[in-house]
Amino acid sequence: MKMNRSIIPLLIIWSLAPLVWQLYTSFCTDQALVMPFAEHAQRWTLAHYQSVLNSDPPFLNYLFNSLFAGVLSTLLTLILALPASYSLSKLNQRTATLIKALLIGCALFPYVLLFLALLEVARFLQLGNSLIALSIPYAALSQPLAVLLLTNAFADLPTELEDAARVEGLTLLQRFRWILLPLIAPAIASTSILVFLFSWNEYPIALTWISDSSKLTLPVAMARIAGSSIHSVPYGPYAAATVLGSIPLILLVMAFQKPIVSGLTSGAVKG
Amino acid sequence: MTTLLLLLLPSMLFMAGVFALPLARYLWLSFHADSVMTGLVAIPNDGANWNRFLNDLRYWQDLGQTLRFAVASVTLELLLGLAIALLLNQPQRGRALIRTTSLIPWALPTTVMALGWRWIFNTPYGPVNRLFESVFGHSLNALGEPSLAWLTTVYADVWKTTPFVALILLAGLQTIPSDLYEAARLEGAGALTCLKKITLPLLLPYLGLALMFRMAQAFGVFDLIQVMTGGGPASSTESIALYAYWNALRFLDFGYSATIMIGSFIILTMMVAIAWVVIATARRRSVVGAPS
Amino acid sequence: MTLHLQNVGRCIGNQWIVRHLAFQIGNDECLALVGPSGCGKSTTLRLIAGLDPVSEGSIAIGGHDVTKLTPAERSIGMVFQSYALLPHLSVFENLELGLKIRNVQCKDRSIRIQRVLDLLQLSDRASHRPAQLSGGQRQRVALARALIRDPEVYLLDEPMSNLDAQLREGIRPELRRLVLEQQKPTIYVTHDQHEAMAMANKIAIINHGQILQLDTPINLYKNPNSLFVAQFLGRPQINCLKPSDNQIQAIRPEDLKFDDSGLPCRLLSREWLGNTQLLYLASSEGDLRMIMDPSFECPERLFVRWDPQKAFYFDRETGKRIP
Repeated sequence: MKMNRSIIPLLIIWSLAPLVWQLYTSFCTDQALVMPFAEHAQRWTLAHYQSVLNSDPPFLNYLFNSLFAGVLSTLLTLILALPASYSLSKLNQRTATLIKALLIGCALFPYVLLFLALLEVARFLQLGNSLIALSIPYAALSQPLAVLLLTNAFADLPTELEDAARVEGLTLLQRFRWILLPLIAPAIASTSILVFLFSWNEYPIALTWISDSSKLTLPVAMARIAGSSIHSVPYGPYAAATVLGSIPLILLVMAFQKPIVSGLTSGAVKG
Repeated sequence: MTTLLLLLLPSMLFMAGVFALPLARYLWLSFHADSVMTGLVAIPNDGANWNRFLNDLRYWQDLGQTLRFAVASVTLELLLGLAIALLLNQPQRGRALIRTTSLIPWALPTTVMALGWRWIFNTPYGPVNRLFESVFGHSLNALGEPSLAWLTTVYADVWKTTPFVALILLAGLQTIPSDLYEAARLEGAGALTCLKKITLPLLLPYLGLALMFRMAQAFGVFDLIQVMTGGGPASSTESIALYAYWNALRFLDFGYSATIMIGSFIILTMMVAIAWVVIATARRRSVVGAPS
Repeated sequence: MTLHLQNVGRCIGNQWIVRHLAFQIGNDECLALVGPSGCGKSTTLRLIAGLDPVSEGSIAIGGHDVTKLTPAERSIGMVFQSYALLPHLSVFENLELGLKIRNVQCKDRSIRIQRVLDLLQLSDRASHRPAQLSGGQRQRVALARALIRDPEVYLLDEPMSNLDAQLREGIRPELRRLVLEQQKPTIYVTHDQHEAMAMANKIAIINHGQILQLDTPINLYKNPNSLFVAQFLGRPQINCLKPSDNQIQAIRPEDLKFDDSGLPCRLLSREWLGNTQLLYLASSEGDLRMIMDPSFECPERLFVRWDPQKAFYFDRETGKRIP
């Protein structure tokens, strides 16, 4: 019982300590970072935040790019996955099981191995440096997870609800609008948030598709700072960028922790 | 029936476009030379790529390193995650707080924290080195020593994923009906027996699933390594995905990079197949031995 | 208006779920489909509604062949076992949806909804969500949804099985009155023979996807054509004696009488049911159930007799009635 009570603060420290260190770093002057125990005329500063926010392109630009790519790929994912998962929940057992096995296989696949072929596609079709184009591979890569989660949600709906609507004369589209979508809204919410997180954080494809610095997404912009040199990374401004880049995600996780967990576990239970 | 298939089609086509097509393309490219030497034009080269692949010591060393990373981090994540989940599996206040703080490391972009770790493990200015120096009197070159650098990357991965694994296993634990434990306690079973005979067998599907997904993900580790160590020092943390990336974008050898990817895909498929058989056998045995 | 089924069947893969369904019901008729679960009674209803495709035969409503039509084109009012009310819409919106889809004028919609809500005494529940209603109220909303479009045929799929026994008894006469008032062919699916006898003027007993017998409740009881029908109708269940000469003799519990010259029996157990008591007896012919006056004090050993005219005889192999 005592173990149980002490595990919670331990877990919180474990998860948050590195972030707190970044927060601390972001407010320290460079001198204070190099010699933390010496006396400094000035220990605290906002200079790192100023340099990050006033850089060219400004840091908020990256946040906006990630947001744009994330929202667009989430929408595209849903447009593709909703009809597919409805269909999968209605198909006969044997076909559905086969397709689900295929989906699980694809979900397991470390997609980083695909970047070269996707890069070739981007070159061939001139899709590089476009955030809109970037949402296409994101939506496609999100299909296995999204279809599996939404199929479970559709399969859990009582069939009589849809039968009743058919007797009432609702077409398939009307049934989607009035019955199916409102009833699986919780599953759509958890799917959306998981797909959004994937797109927001995706690195290898964004790294190879986007080179124009005004179009970089957050993870690539962060890595670019690192790419300059191993030893002369500007840690102060970088910590400030980490803090700024983390805030939207922390807010997102705080707001949506329930659908995130329920989405992840419903995938685990049925899979 | 036709309507159903039509609804399924767009999604399947998109998936085929990003999963099947690239693999087919890799397979084709792996039998061609396509690099700066050929002016980036694919020319058939009689399996020379495959010959090179099989004798490429750097690749096999990277494969070993990748597996070492995957096994170490996934084992730690599952063990720690299971322990935390068991300790947390009681009704208590602050559930939302635990959930949120556990999800944050998992939700943050890997690259963001990877650079954060570089600062934290920095020698001489990072906090870890300062702490080490003040205790042991000499410095700790966590990212500069090959023997330490890979452990540092494992630590970063464990930090990111353990709370998340704990959360998933906790959800699994909560599906176990409490009357199973009550019945066992009436029979006189102790806590350890309950854990061995009820909790673990019923949690096995979750553990198996988490194991497979985490292994496959760790096998493709890229973001973390590329940003945190760049594969160094002396290639000691280089993963196969990073090696393939170097081949394509630094050496501009697309043919060989494709060979590495399809080769790795084959190796991964074989490992998953073996794991599947092992898990299926274990599950069958656990069903036979499970309390009914 | 009549509902007419001719040799209707549904086949999935190479297995027939139901087959050779044929009956005709008129305006003032309510047909109950009864049978054990999985016998195909719900499938029959779904075929008539057009929810499942028909593999052979034809269905006609009012002389028009509707076999190939969609559910929307058939003018069917259906009440589902789970009521199938949309949880995210209010009672009013649930009733409005079907009318809206059919482009009924807004003013007209409100009038019709109000009328049916009044009829079912639901007027004060119009803005409630289904979850805020009691089971009986939900059932009435489901019925209201079927009534509001004034369909040609009513299909009721176990409409009372989700209600508790007491409520069911209260709703039964109300439901019967409402359904009969519509003067439309009605099909009522239930697994409860008591409910079937109370609601319907004709009953079809279904087993393994086939109609075994279709007749008025009294004829089915008095004149079962097979052992299955005899055993299915009537509680306590009919007594079946040990077969002899490939024949099974069956006798209703209420037809057993005490008689010192009869079959010697031993009392196994007794259930007191208020206005009657049920005796379980063991005899050389097998176990017997017998209905008695509740005040009767039954001895350990006794003798029973029955009028052979009142017994039924069935073939042991086929279960068919032997005249």
